[in-house]
Amino acid sequence: MNPSNDIMIQTHNLGKAYGQVQALKGLDLRVARNSIFGFLGPNGAGKTTTMKLLLGLIRPTSGSGTAFGQDIVRDSIAIRSRIGYLPQQPQFIPDMTARETLQLTARFFFTGPKQAIDKRVEEMLDLVGLQDKAERPVKGFSGGERQRLGMAQAQINHPDLLILDEPSAALDPIGRLAVLRVMEELRERTTIFYSTHILDDVQQVSDTVAILNHGQLVAQGPIEHLLAGSDKPVYTLLLWGDGEATRSRIANLPYVAGIEAAHSNGATSWQVSVTDEAAAEKGLLREVLADEAVTVTEFHRKKYELEEIFTSFVEGDNNGR
Amino acid sequence: MVANTAFDRVQEPSWRRGFANLLAKENRAWWGSRRWWVQAGLWTLVVNGLMAFLLFAMPVMLQLNEDPSDAESYDAVLQSVGALFQIGTVALALGAILLSQDQIVGERQSGVIEWILSKPVSRASYFLSKLAADAIAVLVLLVGLQSAIAYGLISLANGGLFPLGPFVAAVGGLAVNTLFYLALTLMMGVLTHNRGTLLGVALGMLFGGLIIGSFMGPYSLFTPWSMTAALPAMALQMGLPLPIWLPLCTTAALTLLCIGVALWAFRTMEF
Repeated sequence: MNPSNDIMIQTHNLGKAYGQVQALKGLDLRVARNSIFGFLGPNGAGKTTTMKLLLGLIRPTSGSGTAFGQDIVRDSIAIRSRIGYLPQQPQFIPDMTARETLQLTARFFFTGPKQAIDKRVEEMLDLVGLQDKAERPVKGFSGGERQRLGMAQAQINHPDLLILDEPSAALDPIGRLAVLRVMEELRERTTIFYSTHILDDVQQVSDTVAILNHGQLVAQGPIEHLLAGSDKPVYTLLLWGDGEATRSRIANLPYVAGIEAAHSNGATSWQVSVTDEAAAEKGLLREVLADEAVTVTEFHRKKYELEEIFTSFVEGDNNGR
Repeated sequence: MVANTAFDRVQEPSWRRGFANLLAKENRAWWGSRRWWVQAGLWTLVVNGLMAFLLFAMPVMLQLNEDPSDAESYDAVLQSVGALFQIGTVALALGAILLSQDQIVGERQSGVIEWILSKPVSRASYFLSKLAADAIAVLVLLVGLQSAIAYGLISLANGGLFPLGPFVAAVGGLAVNTLFYLALTLMMGVLTHNRGTLLGVALGMLFGGLIIGSFMGPYSLFTPWSMTAALPAMALQMGLPLPIWLPLCTTAALTLLCIGVALWAFRTMEF
């Protein structure tokens, strides 16, 4: 397979300015095929702007971008014929029923046969649990029902790329879990590019994450890499006994950058940051166990919560400005 | 689960991608609900209510007057044909403005337009589908239906068929005028998202133009505002100082200009 076929979205220095306000600055993004790509950032970071640029709803003021290898400005219609999009606050034609809305959406992609379109509509209503409300005008829908209809219409064409802007924002916990389940199911046949504020969700389903702040990309990579810490790897040790002498010895090892110790219920926890991951994997535990005065009950590379990573990137970026 | 291979894909060229679906949607909004017969009834009441009054009630009222010369000098057919193409020109233009003023602005304000344009739909298709559906509705319900009923009433009062050729030609002029105000209103829906501005410009053009046109003398024939004088003259086969096709051509050209401006502005709009 051509490697370029494996990249669904690629942007080069993509930017968008509204007058003097730079909403998006030099974005370089790569979204791989069949990934669930979490796009994170505080309000106003430029997430929705990026999505709208990909959909041709707005035009870039600098840089360029492709989806499926096609230019987001020149080939917008061809791109949109392979995309499903759920806006942040989905709005539909108020007098249309849920079924009519899905039929209308399907007919942007397919002309027939009618039975196949009706069947697809039925499947989508079933997928999002709106069968019993299918004949109700959308104007009477709650925020959650509207969101579910939004999910259904975004998938009606079985898109190669699904762009979801805050897909679970208006949903209750059960609805939220349902959305995550649907996303997991779709992973096999589509690529999902979505934004959210709910970091737990990202950690559950995403395989790749990008963090945007003030219109700039501050981090991007596989979620495992981000959770492992992006700067110096940190190893956590939980030990019993007097480890002061060992601590001094460890601190002097060439690959150790620093140790933070904390005491709790008679046990001592060390956070050892290292500069050479391979050397630490091989030698750090041995060095500590060489001291017979201490017992090690836990040793592992520290895994961060996404919230910590997100906060450190966003706040670090804010402090740096 | 139905696979995508089971479907016939849309094959429209890029520039009019989505047109057929959007036109069907717009037509459904007009003809698939009670909207069409409510509008048909309302405009029949307004336009042909006036016709019936001028043709049948006015002569009776004048005969009840003490001065018999009033009734003798009143020509019901002449008056009503004049009124149809004079007042009707303004009334139907007003109808076109009121019926289309929310079409684009409403969808811009609600966010529906963003949803539609996120699908494989060209911007030209979006605008032209609204224009086409509204034009069909306005031409059928406002111009065609009202003119047909009025022609029947006039012929009834005339005691025989009113000359059809000049009448149809004037109805054509009425259609051109009504389409101009429709195109103007839809264009304003693209240029502004403010209903007040939209209505201000469209109604200002209609009513302000009538006032301005009255000060322009024969030069008003180069504007749509002279339609109120040109169309009755056309229907009644009366002469005008300049060729009668002039305001028709000017108005048609302005209609195309409005469509062109709207398409150009819409192409670069952001949502």
